[in-house]
Amino acid sequence: MASASVSPDLHQQVLQFYYREARLFSGKQYRQWLEAMVDREIHYWLPIADLRYRADRRPPPEFVPSIYDDNYDDLEERIRRLETGLVWMEDPPSRIRHLTTNVEVYGTDVASEFDSFSNFLVCRNTEDTDETLTIGAREDRLRLRDGNLTLLRRKVILGQRVIKDTNLYFLM
Amino acid sequence: MGNSEILVDATAGVQKRKIFSAEEIYQLELEKVFGRCWLFLTHESEIPKSGDFVTTFMGEDRVLVVRQADRSVKAFLNSCRHRGNQVCRAESGNLRSFICSYHGWTYGIDGSLINVPLEKECYGSPVDKTNLGLAPVAKVENFNGFVFGCLDPEAPSLREYLGEMAWYMETFTSGGRAELLGPPLKSVLHTNWKLPAENFACDGYHVGWTHAAALKVAPAGPLGQLAGNTGINTTEAPGIQIATRHGHGFGCIWNAASSIHRGTALNDYLLSKQPEVAKRLGEWRGKLFMAHWDATIFPNCSFLYATNTFKVWQPKGPGEIEVWTWSMVDKEMSSELKRNVQKEAIRTFGTAGTFESDDAVNFHGCMRTNRGPQTRKGQLTNSMAVGFDKTHPELPGVISELSFIGETAGRNFYRFWDEVMDAANWDEIRAANSHWTEDWLAPETRDTNGNGRNQSDHFEHRQTQVAGK
Ligand code: FES
Ligand SMILES: [Fe+2]
Repeated sequence: MASASVSPDLHQQVLQFYYREARLFSGKQYRQWLEAMVDREIHYWLPIADLRYRADRRPPPEFVPSIYDDNYDDLEERIRRLETGLVWMEDPPSRIRHLTTNVEVYGTDVASEFDSFSNFLVCRNTEDTDETLTIGAREDRLRLRDGNLTLLRRKVILGQRVIKDTNLYFLM
Repeated sequence: MGNSEILVDATAGVQKRKIFSAEEIYQLELEKVFGRCWLFLTHESEIPKSGDFVTTFMGEDRVLVVRQADRSVKAFLNSCRHRGNQVCRAESGNLRSFICSYHGWTYGIDGSLINVPLEKECYGSPVDKTNLGLAPVAKVENFNGFVFGCLDPEAPSLREYLGEMAWYMETFTSGGRAELLGPPLKSVLHTNWKLPAENFACDGYHVGWTHAAALKVAPAGPLGQLAGNTGINTTEAPGIQIATRHGHGFGCIWNAASSIHRGTALNDYLLSKQPEVAKRLGEWRGKLFMAHWDATIFPNCSFLYATNTFKVWQPKGPGEIEVWTWSMVDKEMSSELKRNVQKEAIRTFGTAGTFESDDAVNFHGCMRTNRGPQTRKGQLTNSMAVGFDKTHPELPGVISELSFIGETAGRNFYRFWDEVMDAANWDEIRAANSHWTEDWLAPETRDTNGNGRNQSDHFEHRQTQVAGK
């Protein structure tokens, strides 16, 4: 795990980055997020694991099932699907709110890249009464270029083994 | 259901709405459907070694499935014989024994009780352990590597239960060539288990409309033309519906293998294997090998062949299920191709799937209306192309050649559901084997245009018949 601390300015910049991201997610402005905040080399990953005993020495499976295993084009295609206007689940639209907390930022071996850890909470309201909460953690690699941060890698970690929402078709 | 109420009229293609919502019907299903039919447990590839185990459900019963020292597979109710605690609390693993977390009773991988702590000191006399092993699941058998269990000792063998469906499934499973990549994704869906099961069995109808968005952005192929349900190329029937004994069935689209996946890697692979399959299994199955299938093995196991997704709809009450999703690959595929196929299968039909999330909203929508006491009265239909269901000179089961979009396999699903719910035991079901299609295909069920009888009359007609018995 990275440990080199970063300047208060950079920490502040990362916080701003995450608050902006949360605002764009809450407004479902996914394309703006993709174009302004995401690196072309993004790997956006949400792997799953089954419940095992602590003493279980078996290695993880060779092919880890991942709810998201997306590169830039994969994310773009997901966003394009939403933009068709034919996603009935979003019509009437769901309401979604993203909170980001517990942000830590560390330097890495690469001067222009930073590791960050954060927690998130997503509240999604669908139809008239349906509400789900999805809480998780993110391990990010951020890249700083010409003074701008972009998201290079994201691993999303969820506590829910059985996902309580009908789907996770929203970004975290 | 053993009384005079008609819940399903499969000939006309109608079923009562209450079968999706009534608690008492659900409880009866747990006994009569899930307590008697073969249910998918795991794939051999998930438990290759002695002591390997997975935990799963049969209906709402928790079960433990373990590979034995002699390579066979056994399954047990996952509940301690002392106070009933869940014995195994992990989803998978490898153990030499299972120790209950309550008082430490210990069971071998064959389910036998092998240790009772403080037996000498506190029981006074030795505990007779012979009758205190984990309760075994009556039957565990595998079909080309797919392991199923059945809680009813009187049930037919798995092979007989799959029946003609096994003939079809040989197409891609023969020699154990198919395997599943787990652990399964799991998510909650607020719906009745029969809705997705029926959907996978027959519902090509929804594809173009429900999934319009995903089809719009997906590469155009035989499925791409469906976007918007505005029309299909009818110069050549694009596929067929197939229904087999015991409620199984599927719809297939010819030459559409891998059309939901992006890229050509899967298609190229299947094409390279196709001549061998056609040579070994014949022309029809050679053709089926390059088709796309949406299928259900009655009651709650579904798969999409060539989209490579494999699912179990675990019932959790009349209005809730857990969706368990594996990816299905061919053992001989390269690691790279397996990874690619898994990614595409989950991308489309996983928990954040571009297709899966469309289905969830409708399956939920079909349930949420049932809160209304007036709404949940009445009936729903499965009558598309009634009158076109026929036997075929070469293909087993009941076939509709009109289109892959149809409800033939749906009618068959409810037909068998009704039969199982009604039957006192497997002998009664067996007795109908020789004539299970008789009333279905009889000419008097069709008018001169080949259409089914007027549906609304039909319940009345059946009810009068029953009343007059
Ligand atoms: S309940 Fe299992 S040891 Fe007592
Ligand atoms: Fe669907």
